[in-house]
Amino acid sequence: MKDEKVLAYCNLFGVLGAIPYLLELDEAARELVRGKTLSLGFAVKDGPHGTLAFSDGRAEMRRGTKGCSIKLYFPSCKAFNALIDGKGMPIPLSGFWHIGFLLGGFTKLTDLLSAYLRPSPEALAEKAFHERSTTLMLHVIAGAIAEIGNHDPVGRFSASNIVDGTVRIGIGDAVAIGIRAEEHHLTALHEPPAESLSEMCFNSMQTARDLFDGRLNALAAVGTGRVRVAGMISQVDNVNRILDRVSVYLA
Amino acid sequence: MHKIYDYPKSRAAFERALKLIPSGIYGHQGPAEGCYVPVEAFPLYSSKAQGSYLWDLDGNRFIDYMCAYGPNILGYHDPDVDEAAARQRAISDCTTLPNPIMIDFADLLVDTVASADWAFFAKNGNDVTTLAIMTARAYTHRKKIVFFKGYYHGVSPWTQKIDYAGVIEEDVMHNLYVEWNNLEQLREVFDTHKGEIAAVIAQPYMHGNFMDNELPAEGFWKEVRKLCTDEGTVLVVDDVRAGFRLDLAGSDHFFGFKADLICFCKALANGYNVSALCGQEFLKNTVSSMSYTGSYWMSAVPFAAGIACIEKMKRIDCPRLLDEKGRLLREGLTDAAREQGFDLHVTGAPSLFYLRVADDPSLRLHQEWVAECVKRGVFFTNHHNHFINASLSDEDIRETVEIAREAFAVLRERHPL
Repeated sequence: MKDEKVLAYCNLFGVLGAIPYLLELDEAARELVRGKTLSLGFAVKDGPHGTLAFSDGRAEMRRGTKGCSIKLYFPSCKAFNALIDGKGMPIPLSGFWHIGFLLGGFTKLTDLLSAYLRPSPEALAEKAFHERSTTLMLHVIAGAIAEIGNHDPVGRFSASNIVDGTVRIGIGDAVAIGIRAEEHHLTALHEPPAESLSEMCFNSMQTARDLFDGRLNALAAVGTGRVRVAGMISQVDNVNRILDRVSVYLA
Repeated sequence: MHKIYDYPKSRAAFERALKLIPSGIYGHQGPAEGCYVPVEAFPLYSSKAQGSYLWDLDGNRFIDYMCAYGPNILGYHDPDVDEAAARQRAISDCTTLPNPIMIDFADLLVDTVASADWAFFAKNGNDVTTLAIMTARAYTHRKKIVFFKGYYHGVSPWTQKIDYAGVIEEDVMHNLYVEWNNLEQLREVFDTHKGEIAAVIAQPYMHGNFMDNELPAEGFWKEVRKLCTDEGTVLVVDDVRAGFRLDLAGSDHFFGFKADLICFCKALANGYNVSALCGQEFLKNTVSSMSYTGSYWMSAVPFAAGIACIEKMKRIDCPRLLDEKGRLLREGLTDAAREQGFDLHVTGAPSLFYLRVADDPSLRLHQEWVAECVKRGVFFTNHHNHFINASLSDEDIRETVEIAREAFAVLRERHPL
């Protein structure tokens, strides 16, 4: 079952949380925010609060909305999720003089993000796009795993079985993220963790893509060596159970 | 130095299987759930087995410490069991009316298992753990079941967890979880759910994965038994894994208490497919009233094999024999580790020992060591308990220790002090 509040957390810290990595990967995206220093706060009633802070072609996602230059208010998680789905409009509470960015640059940025996260088969045929798209999906998934593990009832059960330490999830030598567990609270690490208690590594971008798109079964892939697991495998096992929930929320 | 195995024929077979069978090899005997790390170190299919050995498709021979995950207790193809099975097969097996050998088998089990007043037969461990829970619910008219964390009681939805694929909230909403050996938690659960708990189900000791196996604390079982009796809760012992390796009279007997229901499978017939639920007299009528059976549950060949298996286990005092072999192996393995400066933990009962190289909390060193053992012909798995069988010879144990020593030396070279 899909819970609107959990979906809102996934959308804010998973989907919009990928914008900083979109800027790292895509020159056109960077151009849209070059020279801009402002922060966009998302305040969702009975849901997540977060701020996307831009600074000259870079961005970071922070928890809370304190000090943001534009604050967008959403009366419910459902309203926020509708916006992410392209079906709603936010209510700006402050920072009206930045409304041009909201309607212009930021909208183009989210359109670009959508193009990567819901790519056409033609776009995916290009190797560089395929890699950027798959890398961004990994970041979205990392964020969503943490939110589902912390907020979804079934996800919380899985997290309750994860021992403390970091799971490294990598794609070949190209990219890696981490999921850190501390007393069953999960945090997404959007860079290769310095140390890990366990790891799951996809041998190629194509393998990662096939798994994310549901065309490849993880158990079969472990058998063929396309996916490698090592270390405290119970961690990987439980993170994978949460990963199954990601598709419930973000498919 | 031992030859390093490789497995091209196993790999080819697995590729073929992937096209035809979900995940190629499903469950714990597959490379994913079996924690084959790295997968290249492990064979995937066997071509034959005899005594303590199995051979893979590439002709590599292994001393097999998984024993088909328990069923092999006397040795693969034990001549006495196979002969009894062959004799029965020549008479009848799967027929419209059951063969009376079923009664003989029940008689033998009731005579052998201390807490058994009757026996009910099925095929797999899951069949009888499920029957045990249904029986407890039918008898008590209650819903809730207490489990000890780290448990494994089969694959039916009630045995699984809410985050497992295909399991819904309603399947597990009456499951209550407490920590092993934690009587305080157990008492709390009984207090919180007064008059609601149908059964406590437990393995005789904690043989969970990824952790050292843990025997019951002093007085634990006595108190669990008392709590169940006082609260009108049925005490179910899942002896599917440990059954007959600790005590032919049942693992409850070994630990000094009496279960209300006790589940057997694995070692019951040395690999012939039969399981049994045994129980006390007061639950017999409840089981009689239940609709529970299967197409092959009264097949006669496994009953004949089971009779031969139990009789032979009695003749050779199997639990004592396995315990001695297990202790000898444990001593050899821990010495081999110590020689190279490693701390190998061997926990649980010697006859179904659990291994963990404790120098590295991530278990990567442990996985490296197991891989080096497997590649040299000792079939260990990473995070499941192992099994001793009666055909394991002193020479097999000596060879195992020699390979373990070689594997530890490889690790030390890779990870110098």
